[in-house]
Amino acid sequence: MSDAESNIDPADGTDFQPTAPNTGEEFEPVDVFPDSDDFDLRPGSDSCYKCSTCDTNCPVAEVDDEFPGPKFQGPEQWRLKQADGEHTIDDSVMDCSNCLRCDSACPSGVPLGQMHNTARGEYVSEELNTFSIEYIRNRILANYRTSAWLASKFPRTSSFMMNFGPVRWMMDKVLKVPKERDFPEFATETFQEWWAKQGGATGSRERAREVRERRGEPVDADKKVAYFHGCYSNYNTPEVAKALVNVYEYFGYEVVVPEQKCSGTPMFANGMLADARRHAEVNVSSMSDLVDQGYDAVASCTSCSLALRQEYPELFDIDGIEEVSDNTFESVEYLRIHEDLKGEIEAAEVDGELAAEFGYHAPCHARNQGLERQAVELFGDLEGAEMEDVGDSCSGISGTYGWKSEKYEKSMKIAEDMFEHMEEGTESEVGMTECPTCAMQMEHGTGYDIRHPLELLEAALIEEN
Amino acid sequence: MASVPHIAVIGGGSTGIGIARDLSMRGVDVTLVEQGNLTHGTTGRMHGLLHSGGRYAVADQKSATECIEENRVLRDIASHCVEMTGGLFVKRPEDTEEYFQKKLEGCKECGIPAEVVSREEARQMEPHLAKDIDKAITVPDGAIDPFRLVVANAASAKEHGARIETHTKVTDLLVEDDEVVGIEVEHASGAGKHVHGVEGGTEEIYADYVVNATGAWAGRIGDMAGVDIEVRPSKGVMTIMNIRQVDTVINRCKPKGDADIVVPHETTAILGTTDEEVDDPEDYPEKQWEVDHMIDTLSELVPMLEDARTIRSFWGVRPLYEPPNVGSDDPTDITRDYFLLDHDERDNLQGMTSIVGGKFTTYRMMGEEISDHVCEKFGIDAECRTADVPLPGSEDFSVLRDYMDEFGLRSPIGRRSVERLGSRADEVLKTDGPNPTVCECEGVTRAEVQDAIDQSGSDLNAVRIRTRSSMGNCQGGFCCHRMANELYGEYDELTTREAWDELLQERWKGQRHALWGQQLSQAMLNYAMHAATQNRDNDPADGTPIDFSAFDNGQAVTTGDDAGATDVATDGGQHGD
Ligand SMILES: Cc1cc2nc3c(=O)[nH]c(=O)nc-3n(C[C@H](O)[C@H](O)[C@H](O)COP(=O)(O)OP(=O)(O)OC[C@H]3O[C@@H](n4cnc5c(N)ncnc54)[C@H](O)[C@@H]3O)c2cc1C
Ligand code: SF4
Ligand code: SF4
Repeated sequence: MSDAESNIDPADGTDFQPTAPNTGEEFEPVDVFPDSDDFDLRPGSDSCYKCSTCDTNCPVAEVDDEFPGPKFQGPEQWRLKQADGEHTIDDSVMDCSNCLRCDSACPSGVPLGQMHNTARGEYVSEELNTFSIEYIRNRILANYRTSAWLASKFPRTSSFMMNFGPVRWMMDKVLKVPKERDFPEFATETFQEWWAKQGGATGSRERAREVRERRGEPVDADKKVAYFHGCYSNYNTPEVAKALVNVYEYFGYEVVVPEQKCSGTPMFANGMLADARRHAEVNVSSMSDLVDQGYDAVASCTSCSLALRQEYPELFDIDGIEEVSDNTFESVEYLRIHEDLKGEIEAAEVDGELAAEFGYHAPCHARNQGLERQAVELFGDLEGAEMEDVGDSCSGISGTYGWKSEKYEKSMKIAEDMFEHMEEGTESEVGMTECPTCAMQMEHGTGYDIRHPLELLEAALIEEN
Repeated sequence: MASVPHIAVIGGGSTGIGIARDLSMRGVDVTLVEQGNLTHGTTGRMHGLLHSGGRYAVADQKSATECIEENRVLRDIASHCVEMTGGLFVKRPEDTEEYFQKKLEGCKECGIPAEVVSREEARQMEPHLAKDIDKAITVPDGAIDPFRLVVANAASAKEHGARIETHTKVTDLLVEDDEVVGIEVEHASGAGKHVHGVEGGTEEIYADYVVNATGAWAGRIGDMAGVDIEVRPSKGVMTIMNIRQVDTVINRCKPKGDADIVVPHETTAILGTTDEEVDDPEDYPEKQWEVDHMIDTLSELVPMLEDARTIRSFWGVRPLYEPPNVGSDDPTDITRDYFLLDHDERDNLQGMTSIVGGKFTTYRMMGEEISDHVCEKFGIDAECRTADVPLPGSEDFSVLRDYMDEFGLRSPIGRRSVERLGSRADEVLKTDGPNPTVCECEGVTRAEVQDAIDQSGSDLNAVRIRTRSSMGNCQGGFCCHRMANELYGEYDELTTREAWDELLQERWKGQRHALWGQQLSQAMLNYAMHAATQNRDNDPADGTPIDFSAFDNGQAVTTGDDAGATDVATDGGQHGD
């Protein structure tokens, strides 16, 4: 706990930063509402001048007239709130998909994401009956990692069972998980299993050193990254994680895969802040040790990198959290900063399966990190591949949002534009995105095969050699 | 006297309205006149502190004792106007231990519950207090809404038969043979509810007795009958923060001084104040440095105030009174006590008593004393009941309810509405029609605005003080036109425009001293909307209504075969919409 002590002198009036939230660096939210997890975010609404830009950017508000929108949800609700413990959070916070478009759209630096996440956490811990089906279903969805771990023990049975008619019908009726959705397939070998077979960190170090030698770089170069793979690329799409390792090693980086749990993204979106915190503690502790040793953290999933970069420091007060946040990057972004990725791509070419026209969708959480044009710009120069940006709409699935029966229709409605652009804008039936749940939605709506930029990078740089 | 006497009360602040309620509850016939809307004077420009008495416990123990008594009464009879926040007297290292101990003892002597808390305990209660404070004393201070309290008193007085005339100014006292026999008034807009554009007029109101409760203006009323009332108006500034940085009243524990208190008030926190004598209660300088001084000094107690957003500043004048023989130099030395000046005893002028000085917190007690005085004159033997009968809105009620189910309102909006309306919530909020939010910052819905219009006519500032609509962080940027829109229908276009402009002017006025940082962004956006989009600075439609039918229908839309049959409605909608 600390006060907002400040060295800014309001008298000269020149230090005002219209884009900086006034909850900026000097301000740490204080725990005034008893029972942990709850921060007092009322000061955050000082920055709001009610322009409604956030509302016009909210994909849920666009399709759902009942949803009051981010301006109400965030600054207005917090300002009206009182610290007497009796002021309750409005239930509409559960309709927010946590896409964070409002957070990046706000011209005035209002910490909307933090406000929604905190409000949702408070709503769930105080309002939602813990025996309700909604709570149980949300908790299962939020703790995807646990289910995925179980499923991966019997991948084939799991993939079959999860999508087996009668089972799905039961899920729809009892747990309110929409029967229209196909559960993702589980890989027969997880990334972690594959990684162990590759010799783990030791193997990677040896390979990286060889590469550096071959590339004429100092063998002891300080090129090392800690990979946060997240749950999905471990259990469901290990090909993405493997591509990351291969591409990084191609540039002479040593990769380590530290102990990690779920990034917490699905838990924030479901208001399960206590669960998220437990996982975050593990992640921060193992990542901060590595950061201390000079590693940078990279993630292949844009929601995971967003969680580590932005949501963690906004919501939790854990030792080392700021250092981890400052040293976390999205995996392609990192290479663009440190390597001549552009040059390599211009010299490369793809053929075969990945020589295609990709319908690229920028995930909302990539937008939040300023990465929405990255894939299109990068691969625009790649011979053999073409990128078609399918517009700036939200995919509508927002992690677990679209996995709830009552949200299914809205989720599909939000995605209408994206589906249309994919189908009209591209010849080959392939799509591309960084986010695994956006990929699910894209596939669900169009039947396209959806790939990750790392896979294309791998194909361009490595497989041709 | 056999028949019921008729008493004229001048002044619609807390004092006057308290007298009107008391007398009318005792069966007396009352007419109250106020030159503006209710709370037009000091009452609408005060800090909103329900004193525990702690602030006077060292220097003015009589006032302190009265405060704690009335504090207990108001919590009871005005529960929907009061928030019992509790208060702290905070000692910083540079404040003396001696005064701290005096404060503690003073509180005990006056019967004010007071306890010492450590720095840690104080900061647990109020995390934004400075890290280096020493310790604090807790007292039962509270926050009180002066608008709501006065309006509820007026409603109660009306229920008991009183006539309440706002926008009615006393221009003269009617004096016959050294006796005041009535008042001469000028109505801004006809008797009854205030409606813009309605022809006003003068009226002579004869009364058996006149009570002058005009606070800082009391001397002017006295002048009308040639009596001298030495009110010494003293101004004070208050700065409103956008949010509540504290949820407890924070006082600085040191002898009198400027800028030593923060009061949480509804969604905001109010910083105060200064004390400086002025000549004219209506015309005195308002300076930016006073605001800066407030923020700088109070940041010593609550550091985050330094960077926080202020939405407005305003000044009020205290109606201080000092008996002629005292002669204090410094206004802070003048007692906060009240005085009843019977002009018969004092100046050989019968038929009128003035009441001056005092506090908002003790308004009811002042009303009781003067009502006793008046009743005695007329030989009326009726008990005062204002301490026992709750005000309308404060009868048994609970704020704990399911707003969505009951009123279809989102929970923070429902909660705020019910807090404001108290026991009247069901009556006001249960409506059949759609009930959109009119003011988003404060969570005020159409139903509440319509209820206020029913009470006060076309005066949108009167609607504002009843509902808090337009008092939030956009300061009316997004809701003034919506409020005006609520008038339309019952009132015509011109009345609506006039009321709208009056509200806009009032809203802009208070922001002059908040134009930096975030409130400046707000003001720029508001200006763009008010002046440009809404044309409020130069609207050709002001004055004479526009004849919309004189415009052509725009470009005709031709649809296939029935070309020529298309016609666009003048309201901009297609036919058949
Ligand atoms: C800066 C400041 C802060 C304060 N803070 C607090 C506080 O926190 N707690 C507290 O208890 N007290 C506080 N007070 C004191 C308190 O506000 C006043 O004591 C109280 O409101 C006075 O009420 P009143 O009715 O006597 O005067 P007013 O409210 O001024 O009422 C007098 C009314 O008479 C009307 N009038 C005048 N002339 C005429 C006329 N010719 N015809 C018709 N009507 C006329 C005026 O328009 C006015 O409405 C504060 C005062 C100031 C200045
Ligand atoms: S975009 Fe930002 S400043 Fe504008 S209304 Fe939304 S939160 Fe407020
Ligand atoms: S996070 Fe997305 S869904 Fe939620 S309020 Fe913001 S824009 Fe709307």
